[in-house]
Amino acid sequence: MIDLPFDPIRTAIPLFIALVLLEIAAGRFWRAKVVYEGKDAWTSLLLGFGNTVQTALMLGVIATSMMWVYSHHLFEIRMTYWWAWVVLFFADDFIFYWVHRISRERRIWWASHVNHHSSQHFNLTTALRQPLTQLVVGQWVPWLVLIWLGFPPAMIVVQNGVSLVYQFWIHTEAIKKMPRWFEAVMNTPSHHRVHHARNPRYLDANYAGILIIWDRLFGTYIAEREDDPCRYGIVKNLGGFNFLRVAFHEWIAIFQDVARSPKHAVGWLFGPPGWSPDGSRETSDIIKAKWRERVAKTEPAKAA
Amino acid sequence: MDQAYIIQFAVSITAIVVLALVAAWARIPRKVAPLDESSARAVIAEELPDTPVDRVWVDAAGKAAVARAGSEGVVLFRVGDGFAVRSAPWAEVVHATARDGQLIIRFHDPAAPAARFQLSPGAVRAPFAEATA
Repeated sequence: MIDLPFDPIRTAIPLFIALVLLEIAAGRFWRAKVVYEGKDAWTSLLLGFGNTVQTALMLGVIATSMMWVYSHHLFEIRMTYWWAWVVLFFADDFIFYWVHRISRERRIWWASHVNHHSSQHFNLTTALRQPLTQLVVGQWVPWLVLIWLGFPPAMIVVQNGVSLVYQFWIHTEAIKKMPRWFEAVMNTPSHHRVHHARNPRYLDANYAGILIIWDRLFGTYIAEREDDPCRYGIVKNLGGFNFLRVAFHEWIAIFQDVARSPKHAVGWLFGPPGWSPDGSRETSDIIKAKWRERVAKTEPAKAA
Repeated sequence: MDQAYIIQFAVSITAIVVLALVAAWARIPRKVAPLDESSARAVIAEELPDTPVDRVWVDAAGKAAVARAGSEGVVLFRVGDGFAVRSAPWAEVVHATARDGQLIIRFHDPAAPAARFQLSPGAVRAPFAEATA
């Protein structure tokens, strides 16, 4: 097993609970912009718990893979090297950006990640609304590259935890904007609201984990606008709160599509969400193009 | 199973239940007024901007609406303090089964298998059943 010098997620759990309570209090007593719906919050928290069960079940496979790759590492990098933590901070965040982007833009990974986006709310319980299958679909595999290079597995696990803990507080509407310098470099509630929004303008944007610089570099950054308030959820919102449906609806849909038309299995699995062989469904690109066309005719100022 | 895991499991479930109860107790959901025709049209226009609808029927509870768009039926229904919208062939919408004063309109969609449309007291047919021509 992997011995961690400290576990950022386990350490932060009391903080997560305290901040959820604080956010609810801010909405209830101080009229902050906070919206909670009981069933939605319950579903989000249950998914968070389910995610920890998934991690426990997959731990053996992941730890064994990490140790095997580490036994073939190229360079000797020790946890005591300060520069190694600096390099790892950027490398981990860079990998997170791409894994997050692919999990939004390719349906097999979206089937897992959609759980995190299916709430029509954006509050701190949404941060805990985690997928049940992201480890099964191998979203941890890209990090093995860092282990092969020589970063000890424990360092990777700690840095992953730090990233996850950082991303907790940005799931809120209570904080409008951070100072300008902070907004320029770091992922913030404003940037992440855009990522969770279903408005056509905001689809497929702001994939950052800790640093927003990756979105700025790779052309996926979109700023939040006051004239287009974020509406949360997915393009076709869920029709209820049934836990199993919430968790697995996209997997069921993929299965039905592949069963109906197996010769297009590759497209159904690895095409963008909304892809269909006859073009009868809408991908994000199509939704955005139609929106641009519509807004250019009616409200040209908004299309900018 | 290790006792530490059992304790962790129990504490996690307790924390989830407490947080969910506090969230429900706070009563800070989005404020949603019962649907009327114009609000139903507004939601449909936002969700399906390229689908012009003809007539709109709102259910007796103000929680669902059905609109006709040519050969398609557009169904809007409350989910918590939000809405979901789905389309289905008009023929299927019109022939939805009524049970206990509710019309259950089914979709071929694992994310939203059905919507419930509350009939007016005493009604046995949907108000849009006549619009099949």
